[in-house]
Amino acid sequence: MLDDLAVVIEPEVSLLGGGLRSRTVSALRAPAHEYVDAMALMEDYYDRGWSDGLPVVPPTPELVTDFLAAAGLDPDHVVGTVPTREVTVTAEHVAINAVMAGCRRDYMPVVVAAVRAHLHEKANCHSTTGTLSGAAQVVIVNGPIRREIDINCTSGCFGPGWRANATIGRALRLVVRNVCRSVPGFLDRASFSTPARYSFCFGEDEEGSDWVPLSVERGVPEGTSAVTVHSTMTMASALDLTSRTPEGILDSVADELRTRGVAGDAWLGDGSTVVLVIGPEHRRYLVDAGWSKADARAYLWKQLAGATRVKVAKPEGILMVAAGGPGMAETWLLLPHLAWAITEPVVIGPPNGGSKT
Amino acid sequence: MSIIGLDPTSGPLPGRDTGRRAAPRPESLDGAVVGLVVNGLGRSEPLLEALYDELRTLVPTGRVVKVVKSSVSVPPEPMDWERLISEVTVAVAGFGG
Repeated sequence: MLDDLAVVIEPEVSLLGGGLRSRTVSALRAPAHEYVDAMALMEDYYDRGWSDGLPVVPPTPELVTDFLAAAGLDPDHVVGTVPTREVTVTAEHVAINAVMAGCRRDYMPVVVAAVRAHLHEKANCHSTTGTLSGAAQVVIVNGPIRREIDINCTSGCFGPGWRANATIGRALRLVVRNVCRSVPGFLDRASFSTPARYSFCFGEDEEGSDWVPLSVERGVPEGTSAVTVHSTMTMASALDLTSRTPEGILDSVADELRTRGVAGDAWLGDGSTVVLVIGPEHRRYLVDAGWSKADARAYLWKQLAGATRVKVAKPEGILMVAAGGPGMAETWLLLPHLAWAITEPVVIGPPNGGSKT
Repeated sequence: MSIIGLDPTSGPLPGRDTGRRAAPRPESLDGAVVGLVVNGLGRSEPLLEALYDELRTLVPTGRVVKVVKSSVSVPPEPMDWERLISEVTVAVAGFGG
């Protein structure tokens, strides 16, 4: 089977004990280890600090090769770098960690786009994954890929229960841990960290909203799938059960933003961003009154004038996402760490030569 | 039947896995040039200055070289690294966030 995949196992180089042997696989660059079974592999991966604490799917050469094929990428394709850590992240790294996270092969282009977005200079991987504040990386998915791979965009979309949501967010975090070296106590210095660092991925409810999708507002052509990765230091709910007008609801959101503050500094310039996830109970009052995202953003911008702790430099920095399920009248604020939210199209193949999904 | 798993990392962790350790500490700060790396968070600048003042009451240090980062989000600029490497004996950078 290995020969079928053109993966060559070089001669055994050492015996690791407990039935483990270390080998080198050519074509794929990662060192390979042989185990008596999957449980032995998982225990060894735990011992080596290669897991987030949950079990992992064994990243066999066959699966990793298949995931690379699904993304249309060579193993040594560079997805991004972390210059301060002298780290280069390749497609092979991403594929190995996506397999471990439990992804399906057809999630792989989404995972690659998320890693690419997170490694954008202004997404500030070094700071957002090393900070004492324990910022989490949220992946927001737009476009047809959401339906194709069953991304939850509605009730319970921030929580467990959907394989695509759970494993795509986890894959990004495993790349952050294993490849970018944000290991707790090492380059991850979070005082408390957050459960959102296990996984945080959801989609925009484009079918449940007439609003322009986030990715389209950010320049991705309509009908093209995309991810937006946003490092969030704090999540807060603007809960308003009583307002029945766009102004009343958005005043509650503005109050919460003023109270919480929005991080930003000179290096982020005018690209700083905050993400508002607007649930259907709030959304319907805006939509029924004929308010678009742009209308809501313009109103919020006026309400935030003079709010010195809200360091968003222009209205376009307020990103709006329609998501969540009915019941609770709330809008979630995903308050940023020191980074821009970055949007990347989901492509198969290299970003400039690939086909859009 | 055995199973093969690939290493998911970008290599060993410096320090933890490779034996790389913090730089050796000087035996004395007598006459040392002290670097202060100010990251701009909170009151990091007066804090480090006060620390240096306190240090000088204990040890006759040499001069101080202060580096103020251009932003809390990023590392010091290359020219600041160069100043620290070429001029200082020890540096203090202990204010995080």
